[in-house]
Amino acid sequence: MPFHNSIGVITLAAALSLTAAAAWAFDESKYPDWKGQWLRTDTGIPRYDPSKPAGRGQQAPLTPQYQSVLEASLADQAAGGQGNDPTYTCVAPGLPRIMNNYEGAEFVITPNTTYVLMEHIHDSRRIFTDGRDWPDEFDPTFAGYSIGKWIDEGGTGRYNVLEVETRGFKGPRSYDNTGLPLHEDNLSIIKERIFQDKAEPGFLYDQITTIDHALTRPWTATKKYRHVQNPRPAWRESVCVENNPHVEIDKEGYMLSADGLLMPAKKDQPPPDLRYFNQTRK
Amino acid sequence: MRFRGSVCAIAFATMLISLLPARAFDDAKYPNLSGQWLRINLGKGGQISFDPTKAWGLGQEAPLTPEYQAILEASIADQAIGGQGNWQSGARCLPAGMPATMNGYNSMEIVVLPEITYVMVEHNLPIHRRIFTDGRAWPNQGDVEPTFQGYSIGQWIDTTGGGRYDLLEVETRYFKGPRALDATGIPTHADNQSIVKERIYLDKANPDTLHDDLTLIDHALTQPWTVFKTFRRNSDPRPVWREENCPGVSMLLKIGNEVYFKGADGKLLPTRKDQPPPDLKYFNQTRK
Repeated sequence: MPFHNSIGVITLAAALSLTAAAAWAFDESKYPDWKGQWLRTDTGIPRYDPSKPAGRGQQAPLTPQYQSVLEASLADQAAGGQGNDPTYTCVAPGLPRIMNNYEGAEFVITPNTTYVLMEHIHDSRRIFTDGRDWPDEFDPTFAGYSIGKWIDEGGTGRYNVLEVETRGFKGPRSYDNTGLPLHEDNLSIIKERIFQDKAEPGFLYDQITTIDHALTRPWTATKKYRHVQNPRPAWRESVCVENNPHVEIDKEGYMLSADGLLMPAKKDQPPPDLRYFNQTRK
Repeated sequence: MRFRGSVCAIAFATMLISLLPARAFDDAKYPNLSGQWLRINLGKGGQISFDPTKAWGLGQEAPLTPEYQAILEASIADQAIGGQGNWQSGARCLPAGMPATMNGYNSMEIVVLPEITYVMVEHNLPIHRRIFTDGRAWPNQGDVEPTFQGYSIGQWIDTTGGGRYDLLEVETRYFKGPRALDATGIPTHADNQSIVKERIYLDKANPDTLHDDLTLIDHALTQPWTVFKTFRRNSDPRPVWREENCPGVSMLLKIGNEVYFKGADGKLLPTRKDQPPPDLKYFNQTRK
């Protein structure tokens, strides 16, 4: 009888444990701890390859045609224009530029999706990790369609790398605010490996490779983010349109003055064509 | 001997349970709010409104003070002649802000984790709210940067005592503006001292229906205003998530206090009869 009682207790304990295990659909111990706020570690203009200066200093492997687009962009910006940077009117930057991480990022990990929430608010992404195949058709977006896969490189039972591929883009997109261009066909493929520094878990890396027809070869850069130690960080809400003084009319960029009136952005820039107005104010 | 044997068994069983890996997040304790949520259209006509149970515009019967009722009526009148009225979200692509964020303009996703519940909404721009459920106290107002979405603290409630949370109570403060409650431009007070309280829960009869009972306390109102919003869960387990990018597609352009159209040829158009063109006094040349 004592032996039967002991068996019964053990069986009950095992059953309780298994039941509890089944109820826990999300075992977060399998995933790395990327909670909290991550800020870029590089200084200066947020750019694709943080290890190099912006603009020509990026040494982007552009085709001659797209190198000339960059040169024209830089020349226009030197004259007061916006060049090839589409975001001056607050159009979404899209990938890969999102991961320049302008104002802070949060990685929200769930079994089926990892969300990258950017405080530059039109920059957030979903990375689907539910094992799905690529869809037959994309509804193109600036952020693209991302499918990811968790990897346990060390065989420790805990994932440590998120491999991501993103397709399905719309444009125009540039790598940074110099207007470093991506191809107008928007057939970019972006591959990423996102992982924490093994020695210093306060750093997160995004090793990002862009495959694009404006490039002569795939272009890889490694972005580094640092973890904000405050367990309750301040989350800024960055709203580009709120105080943006730039407007675009008929493919020309203008500025709004402090009194809200249209101003030229460049020397001797003509005003916009107002042919559709009955009255002429000036 | 019998007693000692049982004790050993219990000790062994306890050890077995303790050897299970620690699992910090017991998601079985929380309701399943996953998936894509779409507002339920109650067929009241007009555009998406703050109170979905009432007619659009003045039919909302917003309990506004006389001063703010006048703002609403001026907004509606301006919209009737082609203007945008008090709806800055349309004219400038600004986020609507809370509480209009919860009007259900496009899809919504809710992600529940122990310390934060995220609410992601596509309206004008990808918007996300964080509802902090980590037990924090309210920070001092001066310590929080005001935002359109506000600062939200929530608490999970198990109303039935069944061991599973079924209600998320939320309070949101610390706003910036301007914020209107829907596209007619129902105004909130310029002081941005709104408090928004919500009770978010699944319908007990139909777990694919989500309720957001929302109460706005605001100095533009004569009394707290409670509205009942409902959403249905998209049955597609892999729904399409549209990307909203208002600045990229909006044909409206605000210059000074006037809102204009950008025509298909990119040139400026008036939005109403006899609207004057923008003042070009800062330009050297006159094109027309």
